[in-house]
Amino acid sequence: MLLQFANVAALAIMPIVLAGIIGRVKSLWSGRKGPPILQLAYDLARLAQKRSVYSTTTTPLFRLAPHLFLVTSLGSGFIAPLLGSTPLASFQFDFVWFAYVWAFGRVAIMLAALDAGSSFEGMGAAREAVFSAVLEPAFFLVAGALSFLGGQRTLHEIATLHLRAGGPAVVWVLAVAALLIILQVETSRMPVDDPSTHLELTMVHEVMILDHSGPDLAAIQLGTATKLFVGSSLIATLLNPWAGSTTLLCCLTNLGLCALLAVFVGCVESLLARFKLKAVPQYIAVALACGGVALLATIWRVGAAK
Amino acid sequence: MTVLFLLSVPVLLVGVALALALRSNLARALAALASQAAATALVLFSLLPTLRGGSVLEVVWPWPTPINSIAFRVDALGAFFLAWSLPMTLLGTAYAVGYLRPYFQRGRNGGSHFALLNLVSLSFVLIYSVQNALVFLLAWEIAAVAAWLLVIWDYSNQKIRFAGFNYLVSTHVGLFVLVAAFMLLHSETRSMDFAAFGHFLARPSPLRGTIFLLLGVSFALKSAFFPFHTWLPRAHSAAPAHVSALMSGVIHKAGLFAFLRFTLLMGKPEEWMGWGVLSFGLLSAFFGILYTTTQRDLKRLLGYSSTENVGIAAIGFGIGYLGWAWGIPSLTVCGFAGGLLHILNHALFKCLLFYSAGSVYRATHSVDIERLGGLAKRLPITAALFLVGALAIAALPPLNGFVSEFIVYSALLSGSAPSDQGNVLLIGFAAVLAFVGAVSALSMTRAFGLTFLGNPREPGLHVTEEAPPSMWVPMALHALGVVVFGLAPQLALAAIWPALKLFSAGKELNALASSVAPLGIANPLLAATLVLAGSVAWLLGRGARRGATWGCGYTATSPRMQYTGSSFSDQLARLFRAFLPSARRERLPEEIFPRHASHVSTHHFDPVEHRMFEMLGQAEDLVAHASGRIPEQSRFAFAAGLVALIVIGALVLGGSSP
Repeated sequence: MLLQFANVAALAIMPIVLAGIIGRVKSLWSGRKGPPILQLAYDLARLAQKRSVYSTTTTPLFRLAPHLFLVTSLGSGFIAPLLGSTPLASFQFDFVWFAYVWAFGRVAIMLAALDAGSSFEGMGAAREAVFSAVLEPAFFLVAGALSFLGGQRTLHEIATLHLRAGGPAVVWVLAVAALLIILQVETSRMPVDDPSTHLELTMVHEVMILDHSGPDLAAIQLGTATKLFVGSSLIATLLNPWAGSTTLLCCLTNLGLCALLAVFVGCVESLLARFKLKAVPQYIAVALACGGVALLATIWRVGAAK
Repeated sequence: MTVLFLLSVPVLLVGVALALALRSNLARALAALASQAAATALVLFSLLPTLRGGSVLEVVWPWPTPINSIAFRVDALGAFFLAWSLPMTLLGTAYAVGYLRPYFQRGRNGGSHFALLNLVSLSFVLIYSVQNALVFLLAWEIAAVAAWLLVIWDYSNQKIRFAGFNYLVSTHVGLFVLVAAFMLLHSETRSMDFAAFGHFLARPSPLRGTIFLLLGVSFALKSAFFPFHTWLPRAHSAAPAHVSALMSGVIHKAGLFAFLRFTLLMGKPEEWMGWGVLSFGLLSAFFGILYTTTQRDLKRLLGYSSTENVGIAAIGFGIGYLGWAWGIPSLTVCGFAGGLLHILNHALFKCLLFYSAGSVYRATHSVDIERLGGLAKRLPITAALFLVGALAIAALPPLNGFVSEFIVYSALLSGSAPSDQGNVLLIGFAAVLAFVGAVSALSMTRAFGLTFLGNPREPGLHVTEEAPPSMWVPMALHALGVVVFGLAPQLALAAIWPALKLFSAGKELNALASSVAPLGIANPLLAATLVLAGSVAWLLGRGARRGATWGCGYTATSPRMQYTGSSFSDQLARLFRAFLPSARRERLPEEIFPRHASHVSTHHFDPVEHRMFEMLGQAEDLVAHASGRIPEQSRFAFAAGLVALIVIGALVLGGSSP
């Protein structure tokens, strides 16, 4: 009960904290003091009080999409091991549901982008769609490899697979690498997408939401931050040596690792330039390759065992 | 019960006669609708015990030799297919009344069209019940020819006649292969009865594999698997919307039914068959979905997506085969359940999508997504229903497409294959399926977004009216099915349950039910939250101001500047240019002050069809070249004739000797 409560609390607070950490790290790298850690919460509160402005081109879909996106992000948080231990809910092959729920949110935002009738937003939607086409197989390769290696079938179980559970370390390393790339793409972070630029032609996620304002924009920002937390909690659980237990140590380690991942994301964002758009599918293909090699490496384990 | 079942045949035939004889189009339509409704009621009532998972409907008719007897036998598999094929054909006929009204107002006689729709229903009653190869072929042919005649409704258009002819030729190539398989079986069993076929096929023999391949090719042609799909996009873009819907969603499922029927007759398959079906399905899903991404014609796009979806069903069947061959019942059940459910789901959302496309065509006289746009404001009902279908076909939860794909995924990812290499291969296949899912999300976003959202791309395009109730009520019923099977997967499972029991029984079925049960909680919860969030968003947005779309500082935007379909798929098409060739026609400006207008246009053609026609052309040249020499040299003609005579003589003599 306490754990479930902690999960909900983490789902509510951590997205904002992680976004704050990334902002702070980027500020420090560029020699500024930076905004407070909870800046996103202030931003959201301010946006929520505003009125939205809708283009006359749009249909009701445009009004609904941001909130549907937020729901899918939060919904995926229910089955992810946010604290490295038992999630709020889980069932067999819930990672398939997880992947498709994220896909639902993406489709909602893409449709809203096309709804505005602007060529920029259409461009962003097309890019997002192509990236996700390379990304989804990568996720399934990683999840499939981990699931097969441990013989487990739920998202939190496959994420709590440790080195000590047996199996070659390479699977685990490659899974973490692939998930990192997936996280960067899904949450539109550098070097795939630049969340702070204002040059429309080079953006992916940001260009899709050009026309959203007020509470709708708040929903999208919170949704993206939630996805960042959910995704990094998966990686954190993979890295967490105590994952799977329900101890306080495990939970705190997981949150700490999430924070470290946010620092990492912030550092990458400060030190690396954005890739050329043509190079992005190749970068995502690295995740695909990692997943593929991880899957092949699982045979190795069995070969050694026999 | 059997009498009631067989009574549906004369009822449908009376409907045919009335549709042809009556005076007004409305009366013809009513005759077809009434007879189909009566036949559907008769069939469903007589099949109730079978659908409940109980008895089998069986009757044998004596018949003059050489047929001797015709057996009808409806088991749970046939009952499952009949249970949705007939009602959906009925709904399609209702839709036709609204869809064809503009033609009727111009004085067109719809009698033959409604009669043909009745014949389609009739062919279902026969195909799904008959146990005699000859009658099966007859029913198969009725369905094929009726579909062909339905496709060429607009026969005055040469393109449509060509598409129809293309379909007719392809479907008969498939028929030849099927006849070949039946002849082989007949030569071995001296019978045309399926039961006798079954006895032969159940035993291992060298012919078993050959017959399996022949049947597989024939049924693949019927269901438009890659690379036998070339007739499909043409036929589907040429036919009236309800015919495309019925062909794609219902009629061509007969190919998959026949495949399952012979699977049951054959009994335990060999492992290579499973891998064959699995990789064949995977290829279809992969190429089918890739081809959808570059289509301009909405109905062609939906046609290619049929190839993808039958591919997904075949992936399920392939796993079922493997599980059966390996002796792992849980895998068998999961595979066949996923495949069967996907057939039903595909019928639901594909009909819905084709009907919506038809409503777009009726209102705008175009299905070219590069010309459309902003239709959601003019055709709100069509747009909403299309969106439901599009989300379902992209396999997004909480709709029905996700449920069947979830079962297929759970089979692929179960890790229960006997060898590790096998398991790794299956997981790799799951990744390909994930790719297919993501690309179908792209394709459906593109189709819906460009057709219904944004501004009209061609301001001159005249939009007449929203679909009448005779059109949107069938659409809404299909959408209801899509939503209900998504929110209550238990109901979906219950629909396929009796048919599934034919493939395996016992505790594996319960394991499947319990692995799908969580979706029955997760999907409604997700749906409820989505609806709640949507309503809240609606309330929040009430006081919103309206403005122009942000043009990034540019103020003179025009609807022509919106993102187009080809630009939307350009990046993916470039990534997969090896599979998605395009033809480019251009006339570039030549001098500093060009005298001629310049233009560039690209279009993506079907590489398989392109290659096929190329090969046919080459073969024709070869034959023409060879035969061109015969008249010059009369001894060649003489020699050729002699050789032919000897071969025929040898065959006759060889065939007659025991």
